[in-house]
Amino acid sequence: MIDVKNITRRFGALTAVNDLTFQVGRGEVVGFLGLNGAGKSTTMRMLTGYLPATSGSIQIAGHDVLTESLQVRRSIGYLAEGVPLYREHRVSEMLAFQGRLFGMKRADFRRRSAEVLDRVGLSDRSRSLVGKLSKGMRQRVGIAVALLHEPDVLILDEPTSGLDPLQRVGVRKLISELAEEHTVMISSHILPEIEAVAGRLILLHQGAKVADGTKSELLAKLGGSHLKVLVAASSVHPRQLKEALKRALSSSDQKREGAVFVREAGDSIEATVRVDKNPAAAVGLLASAHDWILRELSWHEPNLEQLFGRLATGVAENGLDVATIAPASEVGTMGGMEETEAGA
Amino acid sequence: MSGFWAILRREVIGLFLTPLAWVLLVAAVSLNGFLCVAALMQSGGDVDGAFNFLLGTGGAYWMLMITLPPLLTMRSISEELKGGQLEFLLTAPVTDGAVVLGKHLAVVLFLAVLWAAIPMYGLILELQGVSPDWGQMGLGYLGAVLVSALFAALGMVASALSSTPLLAAFLGFIFNIAILILPMGAGALGGTIGGLLKALADKLNVLLHLQTSFMRGALDSADIIFFVAWTGLFLFAATRIVEGRRMWS
Repeated sequence: MIDVKNITRRFGALTAVNDLTFQVGRGEVVGFLGLNGAGKSTTMRMLTGYLPATSGSIQIAGHDVLTESLQVRRSIGYLAEGVPLYREHRVSEMLAFQGRLFGMKRADFRRRSAEVLDRVGLSDRSRSLVGKLSKGMRQRVGIAVALLHEPDVLILDEPTSGLDPLQRVGVRKLISELAEEHTVMISSHILPEIEAVAGRLILLHQGAKVADGTKSELLAKLGGSHLKVLVAASSVHPRQLKEALKRALSSSDQKREGAVFVREAGDSIEATVRVDKNPAAAVGLLASAHDWILRELSWHEPNLEQLFGRLATGVAENGLDVATIAPASEVGTMGGMEETEAGA
Repeated sequence: MSGFWAILRREVIGLFLTPLAWVLLVAAVSLNGFLCVAALMQSGGDVDGAFNFLLGTGGAYWMLMITLPPLLTMRSISEELKGGQLEFLLTAPVTDGAVVLGKHLAVVLFLAVLWAAIPMYGLILELQGVSPDWGQMGLGYLGAVLVSALFAALGMVASALSSTPLLAAFLGFIFNIAILILPMGAGALGGTIGGLLKALADKLNVLLHLQTSFMRGALDSADIIFFVAWTGLFLFAATRIVEGRRMWS
């Protein structure tokens, strides 16, 4: 449905989007993630044809964005950041204007405007002035306007920006429902929003794509998960614990090389085992075999926010291989730790 | 084309819902009404002279021509570029040209209604038993609409260039004055620049084209083409500026 090939957008010396390539299939919901200035809005504007790419090509629903711009626009429902609607219009007038812009027939317009208002829960607000509505309702009007002409692709730029938590939940629920019928591209810098609605994530940083996949794929690919082992200091020496865990890891089925961090914590020894697959069962057996007094054995996976923090802060120096970068939350606590590479 | 008509319709309705537009309309109609009565009284009842004054020779005509179009076009593009509504329009199946033309024509229609008050005064006189020269009146009215269209096109250029409506109005005002005084001052400069300005001024002499045709009651198609062509050229320039600003948004 969307085929983006090597698009780059420069504004003078600034490269806002750099050699971006991705494809989106029919019915997919793709979340664009990135910090402010990562190139999300610029990419979305290029997808809608509002902004031409400096180089590269974009095809939407089989039409080229540059040469068949008007056909592409008919296939797209776009909600720009900030919901730029005419505030002096009533909701029904705004929909009527959109219907005329898209050349809809009167009967189709009547049917669709009732449907979309019902869809966004504003059937009783069609006579309200857009400018008098709350921000959450305005977002809903914006989505209704974008949906009116039954587009194949829905592009929503920061649809939950500036909303309160309740409004956010409402808009998020609406987007989840829409995902059943449309190909949806949604951008946000609020990660839990995207996590909740998008099946696939594209992470942008400084205009370039740094990751693309489902959340579990990204977590598996980029690492960051770890096992926390807390053992009574009276039952094992720190060096013995480390060596035993090293041996256990080297014989376990791990995709990537793990690392073991050990430190004393009061009357306990805390070991952090950074691996991609949960080795809790093996470590539990190890503890039992060595008569360690096990106080905690817990598996931790980073959430998307931590993952993105690592990408955003680590990618510039480390390229795409960020598996060796410590999770942001742990960076400050590693001082004094003894680190040993495990595995082969 | 559906997009163009949608924009024209929205803009016309929008203009007639704007308080500023009504203030300008009432002020202009009141001023012209007052001047009509004053001119009739001063000329001892010379009806055609009075209408000629209202539709070309009078200072109030040019004052309204210079100020009204930029005040009406100032928000057309600048505010929508800033507020994002232009992004909304230009991601619908509508070309940049259709957006600019739709907004321009809406302003021209509004000004056409505003100038229509003068033939209405003629109608009142007709009902009183004094018949004005309707041919000359009609041409004078057509001239006023064409000059308004030209100045509104310049206003669209100013609105496309500026980020704030007030600056757009000021720029449009300057453009209009420049176009009117260019023919008078261009020859005085001398040299290559003076020569070029003189050549441009000869091609863009609004007063001359209005006086030789519309104000004399003798219609020449070349004069209509003059106004339509320059209006089109300025609208084309405004469209290109909108495209350019979109590229850098």
